[in-house]
Amino acid sequence: MSRARSRIPLVRLAARNALRHTRRSALTAVAIAVAVTALVFFQSYIRGVVDDLLDTYARTESGHVRIRREGYAAREHFLPAHLNLREVTELVSEVARDPEVRDVVPRIRAFVLVDGAASNRPGLVLGVDLPREADYLRPAGMVAAGRLPAPDRAEALLGERFAEKLGVGVGDSLTLLSQTAYRSLGGLRVEVAGIARTGVSYLDASLVVLPLGQAQVLLDLEEGATELVVFAREPEGADSLAAALGTRLGDRMGPLEIRSWREQGPLVRLTDLIGVMIGLVMLLLFGMASLVIVNTMLMTVLERKREYATQAALGMRRGDLVRQVVVEAAVIGLAGALAGAVAGSAVALWLERVGLDFTSASRTLELPFESIVHPDWRLGPALGMALAGVVVAGIAAVVPAWRVARQPPAEALRG
Amino acid sequence: MTDVTRRLSRSAAAASLVLLAPCAAVAQTPAEILRRVDANMTITTAHARAEMVIRYRGGDVRTLRYESWARGTDEAFIEFTAPARDAGSRFLRRDDAMWIFLPRVGKSVRIQGHMLRQGMMGSDISYGDASERPSMVEDYDATIERRDSLDARPVWVLLLVARRADLSYPRRRLWVDAERNVPLREERFAAGGRLLKTAVLGDVRRVGSRWYPFRMELDNALDTETTTTLNILEMRLGVSVPPEVFTLRYLEGGR
Repeated sequence: MSRARSRIPLVRLAARNALRHTRRSALTAVAIAVAVTALVFFQSYIRGVVDDLLDTYARTESGHVRIRREGYAAREHFLPAHLNLREVTELVSEVARDPEVRDVVPRIRAFVLVDGAASNRPGLVLGVDLPREADYLRPAGMVAAGRLPAPDRAEALLGERFAEKLGVGVGDSLTLLSQTAYRSLGGLRVEVAGIARTGVSYLDASLVVLPLGQAQVLLDLEEGATELVVFAREPEGADSLAAALGTRLGDRMGPLEIRSWREQGPLVRLTDLIGVMIGLVMLLLFGMASLVIVNTMLMTVLERKREYATQAALGMRRGDLVRQVVVEAAVIGLAGALAGAVAGSAVALWLERVGLDFTSASRTLELPFESIVHPDWRLGPALGMALAGVVVAGIAAVVPAWRVARQPPAEALRG
Repeated sequence: MTDVTRRLSRSAAAASLVLLAPCAAVAQTPAEILRRVDANMTITTAHARAEMVIRYRGGDVRTLRYESWARGTDEAFIEFTAPARDAGSRFLRRDDAMWIFLPRVGKSVRIQGHMLRQGMMGSDISYGDASERPSMVEDYDATIERRDSLDARPVWVLLLVARRADLSYPRRRLWVDAERNVPLREERFAAGGRLLKTAVLGDVRRVGSRWYPFRMELDNALDTETTTTLNILEMRLGVSVPPEVFTLRYLEGGR
């Protein structure tokens, strides 16, 4: 029995049949090709956006683990400088001893009122160790005009749109007012050393980057910081690193809040939904393609009704008839899926190189999101989508194939 | 309003205060009540020493001390004297404009725009509150809601609706001591009716011919982190205040 079935050259037969009505086969192939093209591109694009979001969020906000004074997270919207970390040098050395820690940087985050030439406005001070932040906050890459502040001088790097609103430029002076670590009112006069273009909307509109020492002066935070941002060797292990640092530090440095990036906000957890989102889009696109395939294959089997009846009358089994139709659809689907994978990959690879500019759109987003998105194309997922296209084409043909198999040969030959 | 008309209105208000005081408990119009509140709370010149107590949700308390000089409703100068970290911080208000001077900055900063909504020295009193001195009778339409009593004092409860769009509080509810013409409680609302701040005034003492609240507790409904109490420790009215006190040069140079 198995020998008899193996003698039927299903693929060759399917290929030959597919070429009998090229226009109809092309319609089936195009349906799959369009779906696969869209999915290959969409998957690359979403991966690019998510990677961008996570990378920017980790570099500018959360790190992979963030250490702050206990109670800070509950009052985070005030950026309370009185909940701070003292003796930061000692804390940094202790954290850096963990073998899973790639680097650890102290930062000061505080709200300020900035008095410029045209008005005074609220802003966000980020006090950072500029040389150590080269790979994280990447201040040098932000400079759109002027230069970075000198670490030991009262100088600032100002967000581009913030500078516009304040009516100041490179070389102008600003007065910063902020609540200090002692909850009194602190002030600092700084010179604008440079203008920053981060590509992140809310930062461009509010950011004041100060050398760490100057931020400490502004907030009366001698040798202190409001947070330690820890970068892990393996970001996936951030949760266990946070737990390990909790054990390592204990209460020696006072009560601390040690949180992995997944615990710091919904953003990282939201990325878990990306797979679901891609799945839904796949379902939608392949569903639409399936409708086309069901229709075209139904037309095919109706047209070849007598031919299938003859094959059945000559002894071809029902299963072989079903397989014949399904394989034909899969062969057509393969052609479409390969074409779609190539087209989708070409678009994704091109945009990966040139980038998609969302500068105007990102101005309204309150997310750590770079303005230019580079899709992230990968071979495995592209081939996976092509394979899915072939499988969907085959599955969509089961209904028409089943109709062929159930048809009594004599009746079909008479009709 | 010119100086002459302001003086005249103050005199008229003072006169009305004297004449109407015995009839305070009888029925009055809301405008009359407000006029007498304005007259009672408006001073010619004053010097005060006071403390600002800021209580934080976690239990911390910060106490600041300051001295203030005022002339009429339009000019005021405040200098913080304690703690040492805040000593030397000064504020100048002229009409509706306000400036701050911090010794370590060495330059005065005009408080405007967003900064008006910030709490003065981290308190619940915003710079906008401190710089805005509305005349209750001129800037608000009032209706009497009811006669009531508050802390054993007879009070009128008034609802005030702003006549001008540029006032910080479009609606206020005021509990006015019916005999002493002193506000004892105030609720300040946004245009949509949302409660923004509650002020409770107390420790009412007689100063010369008027009654004046020496304590004010302020609670910002939008900021649950803090409550602020102002205690006047000493107040002298009718003192001589040199005009140069209310200048930017004095603000930046000090006494």
